[in-house]
Amino acid sequence: MSSKASITVLGSPEEVQRRWADDQYRPGYIEKADAAVSFKPAPGDRGTEIHVDLEMTAPGGKLGEMAMKLTGKEPLAKVKDDLRRFKAQFETGEIPRSDGVPEGELGERKLKQRPAQPLKQNELQKAGV
Amino acid sequence: MRANVWSGRNEVSVETVPDPSILNDRDAIVKISSTAICGSDLHLYDGYIPAMKRGDILGHEFMGEVVEKGKGVGNLEVGDRVVVPFPIACGDCWACKHELYSVCENSNPNSGMAEKMFGHSTAGIFGYSHLTGGYAGGQSEYARVPFADVGPIKVDEDFSDEQVLFLSDIFPTGYFGADLCDIEGGETIAVFGAGPVGQFAIASAILMGAERVIAIDQYDYRLQMALNKAGATDVIDFSKDADIVEQLKELTGGRGPDAVIDAVGMEAAHGHGAVHAIDRVKQASRSESDRGHALRDAILACRPGGIVSVIGVYGGLMDKFPTGAFMNKGLQLRTGQAHVQKYLKPLYEHIRNGDIDPSFVVTHRLDLNQAPNAYETFKHKQDECVKVVLKP
Repeated sequence: MSSKASITVLGSPEEVQRRWADDQYRPGYIEKADAAVSFKPAPGDRGTEIHVDLEMTAPGGKLGEMAMKLTGKEPLAKVKDDLRRFKAQFETGEIPRSDGVPEGELGERKLKQRPAQPLKQNELQKAGV
Repeated sequence: MRANVWSGRNEVSVETVPDPSILNDRDAIVKISSTAICGSDLHLYDGYIPAMKRGDILGHEFMGEVVEKGKGVGNLEVGDRVVVPFPIACGDCWACKHELYSVCENSNPNSGMAEKMFGHSTAGIFGYSHLTGGYAGGQSEYARVPFADVGPIKVDEDFSDEQVLFLSDIFPTGYFGADLCDIEGGETIAVFGAGPVGQFAIASAILMGAERVIAIDQYDYRLQMALNKAGATDVIDFSKDADIVEQLKELTGGRGPDAVIDAVGMEAAHGHGAVHAIDRVKQASRSESDRGHALRDAILACRPGGIVSVIGVYGGLMDKFPTGAFMNKGLQLRTGQAHVQKYLKPLYEHIRNGDIDPSFVVTHRLDLNQAPNAYETFKHKQDECVKVVLKP
């Protein structure tokens, strides 16, 4: 299984890295897993590529593979959730939510979708709205 | 509120569900005044689009009045009358910045699911399965509209709902299909399918300067609408003669049309006996999701060096794609869900200038409560049905 995930965000490497380190945008799972993260400019006007490798450790970090075992069954799916959420928040200022996925992109929701109809009051609170 | 929900294959029902609320700052809530059933809703109804769930509210063509808005929506006011485009687009990603709104990179919160199916995610769409986000649709009394600062267009009170409602999908979709054909004047364009989208593809090709537009369908009443309302110059009724490719060559002195628009999609009705039978069996056993006669014939009929424009909806895989004809004739295949946001203003101008009155496609006006009957009438082409508008 691949241990790598990447995404391209429409912003300069400096701005992307600055916000990556900002509390408001913090990619929680990737930080916890202590994965190696690299940023590089995309060609043309495409923005910045963010590359995450779970098998590599962050400089000075603990062993990535161990982190994978400790933090859940589908670490790569969680890394991708983090990346998509970061991209959406960076570009649009919010995390897109639907009725089927009120929390926003979430690996665990893939097979447990709500029906696409509005949430009841108690569900709204649970989804953090 | 009342809403029309998907209850399984060939079954929809009008149920009472919670009212929508603002979930994000860029949301608005729209009180729906008119909503329509799209031909592509029939693919959901017939059960050919994966990732549907019982209780999903259907509908992606709707308009109404803004009754609530989040603090990030600066361009709309409560009370504004708006038409809402079917693709949900953020306006901020690379795709949106390049007017490729239907492949918005952010608006589908099930992008992981879509990537597995299509390689990449595409935009969220109202009421169109969980593959395109799991968003509640607009065949209901109210709808939540995400990124409301980007999508909806304000419309004046001097137009009736039916004159502007189709800016939500079928008019821009038909126009986009014609736009993909690079029409400069004098071309011959063939349009497979004289349903609502086909009618607007025909009308748009004429608006752009095509000299001849050939409508292809199996229902005479739809071909009559194409001739008399949309402006087609010729028709082919394949219920009388199924060899469409030969008829198109005959109509064009052997050249074939300069461009062919597929406004049919995955549930094509015609096709040569044996191939059609195999497609039916494979689709019924779910080993092929798309019946592709229209696309196959489009490729065989198009003149060498021409363009095949695909706006009919496909959902998965099809067999017997004529790669030999496609490659050797040097064709260009251009496709997509329409980038509706790009076309809203110019098409609204066309309506305002009187170049077109999109209400000509409407054949049925019903109460939202009658949605289950309306789906049956539309599916089986009963009562000369072309387009159904529902009133919540």
